Amino acid sequence: MSGLDRRGFLKLAGAGAVGAFLTACGGDSGSGGASLRYAWWGNNVRQQNYTKALKEFAAKNPGVQIEPEFADYAAFQERMTTQISARDVADIFWIASPQVLTYHKNKLYRRLDDIPTLNLADYSKEDLESYKLGGQLNTMPFGIFVPALRYNETFAKEDEVELPPADADWDAWAAFLIEYAKDNPNKRKGMPYEPDADLPFESWLRQRGEQLWTQDGQPGFTADSVRAWFDWWDKLLKAGAVLSLSEQEGIGPDWALVGKKVLANMGNSNHIIDEARMFPDYRYKLRAMPVAKDAQAGYQFLYFPRMAIYQGIDDDKVEAAGKIVNYNTNDYAMLKTVGMTMGAPVNPKVFKQSLESASGDEKEMLTLVQAGREAERRPRFEAPPGTNTWRTAMSRAAEEIALGRLSTADGAKRLLDEIQAGISRSR
Amino acid sequence: MAKRSLLNQGRAAHVFLIPWWLGLALVTAVPLLASLYLAFTDYNILSTPEFNGLENFERMFQDEYFWAAVRVTAVYVLVSIPLQLGFALLLALILDRGLRGLAFYRSAFYLPSLLGTSVAVAILWRQIFGDDGLVDRGLSLFGLELGSWLQNPSLSLSTLIVLNVWTFGSPMVIFLAGLRQVPEELYEAAKVDGAGVVRQFTRVTIPLITPIIFFNLILQTIGAFQTFTQAHVISGGTGGPANSTLFYTLYIYQQGFLNFDMGYASALAWVLMGAIALITAVHFVLSKYWVFYGDD
Repeated sequence: MSGLDRRGFLKLAGAGAVGAFLTACGGDSGSGGASLRYAWWGNNVRQQNYTKALKEFAAKNPGVQIEPEFADYAAFQERMTTQISARDVADIFWIASPQVLTYHKNKLYRRLDDIPTLNLADYSKEDLESYKLGGQLNTMPFGIFVPALRYNETFAKEDEVELPPADADWDAWAAFLIEYAKDNPNKRKGMPYEPDADLPFESWLRQRGEQLWTQDGQPGFTADSVRAWFDWWDKLLKAGAVLSLSEQEGIGPDWALVGKKVLANMGNSNHIIDEARMFPDYRYKLRAMPVAKDAQAGYQFLYFPRMAIYQGIDDDKVEAAGKIVNYNTNDYAMLKTVGMTMGAPVNPKVFKQSLESASGDEKEMLTLVQAGREAERRPRFEAPPGTNTWRTAMSRAAEEIALGRLSTADGAKRLLDEIQAGISRSR
Repeated sequence: MAKRSLLNQGRAAHVFLIPWWLGLALVTAVPLLASLYLAFTDYNILSTPEFNGLENFERMFQDEYFWAAVRVTAVYVLVSIPLQLGFALLLALILDRGLRGLAFYRSAFYLPSLLGTSVAVAILWRQIFGDDGLVDRGLSLFGLELGSWLQNPSLSLSTLIVLNVWTFGSPMVIFLAGLRQVPEELYEAAKVDGAGVVRQFTRVTIPLITPIIFFNLILQTIGAFQTFTQAHVISGGTGGPANSTLFYTLYIYQQGFLNFDMGYASALAWVLMGAIALITAVHFVLSKYWVFYGDD
């Protein structure tokens, strides 16, 4: 026998449990330097690219260790929510577009303009002013998207079709798509059915002199404009010019599934980077959205994905966090590793550098974004708290309209009602 | 001395039970009580919960998605459970006839029960019932062009019902064990009295396995009310098309983790728990009239 009686065993087990507990509560034993958590979202390719870039950063900055926290877009938001609830947010994190002001309201962002390691010298005063939330620079944009019409040039050549001129309006585009779907020899459709694509919808609204959100946190659009948007898509759907829900396996189709079935699609300019790679045999081109004949001045806009440093970050880690944000926003070296999946660079110098080595798809995107940067633009406001599921409401309405269960007028009304209810609840 | 030894043994047992008690308290009891409190609050996860009385429960009555979720879940439970149990019993009866390779068949039929709630099988289901999938292609041979079943609101729920029926293995194994317990002499006596196969089944088998049927009914009903993974994967988390797969648990998840309306989600969860408890209680009350135990 070992001589260990029951009492001895219990003492040993108890001591072990206490030891394990204390070890678990002890946290980082400290290996010197700052250890920072970096949270972002995306697909597998983006995960690998950013992980590599963060490793490269850590190699160049021996005092800084980075713990990557990656997730799919939806899971990322869920994780953020639970982390916020537990006050355990990553030190540096990307911000999903519907949450920008929600997180701001909940005081998640640390100010950035007092961090010496974050260089803001390349940005104009006007640009820096436009990035501010609540009068403070507390988030940093690290990419630019604009709404875009992407088309498959290979298909256009195969089907011997000539696209409408660059200044074609919405009706001209609809007529072209209907004609194309009727006649092309490969039985392709013009586009997927995507009335829930947010940037194209915002472009539609702004051309009508409206906007997605107002400065005081209300919907900036009328039910009439939403109905007209739904009508435009419904006409295409009924004419067979866009894919049915069955053909595209639901609202919000997967490009890998529909890429072979359509000539064009409406979405964000940056999507060409990942989605063109899915079909390497095809050549894709980007062009600006259709423009209404009576489009209001300043309708063009830029959308910025943003990142932030957590308000609760330890003071001794702030400078290291600033370095990482700087690396993300101002360093061409990172862009070379991660590519332009998150849009065109915001930093004007990096933008110029990237033009020199850009691939064909990247040049398409950069050219369109550059045009957007140079255009006259009315102010744009972020989604207010309580509207984080407005796109779900939009998708539901579009889906029911496509299934013939809801009129476009009722769909528009329901969308606005749901958005208003969300805003009211958040107050 | 013996009393002290017993006391020590009791203490030792309690020490060994500490991890279990901690698990029960921290992972089950505390969250359960917390969600009960949150059900009476306006809580968006990011800020402090604010007590709002019965507002969350009143809101359900005006919430069209709540009623859609109730309808979908009720149809699913009412259709899939009888079908699943009927199928499981049928297969158990066949296997009980002493087939060669019984162990293999039992394992093979049980396999879907292990896989049925997995993400992989839900993805497989998407392929089978999707546009140009196996089912669509098969039906097109007969001139039926239904397209994607998953995008057809009239058919999408039926694909999930089929998936649930397919997971008949678990109740089947329990039925099989129950069938083995029916005394052979009762069948012999029935035969002597001139009872045919059908009469033996309805007058001997069924009455004697009613406790097993009851047990399976309770278990599968509770499980069906909590269906989540399949609906989430098949509809991409939306519950579409047109709310046709908006299961109750999926709606709770949407409210809690997408809408950040954790107060309302907690209220919904407690309503579900109440509904399951009530239905189970009704089953128990009604069981007096149709379940026969050996000592009755």
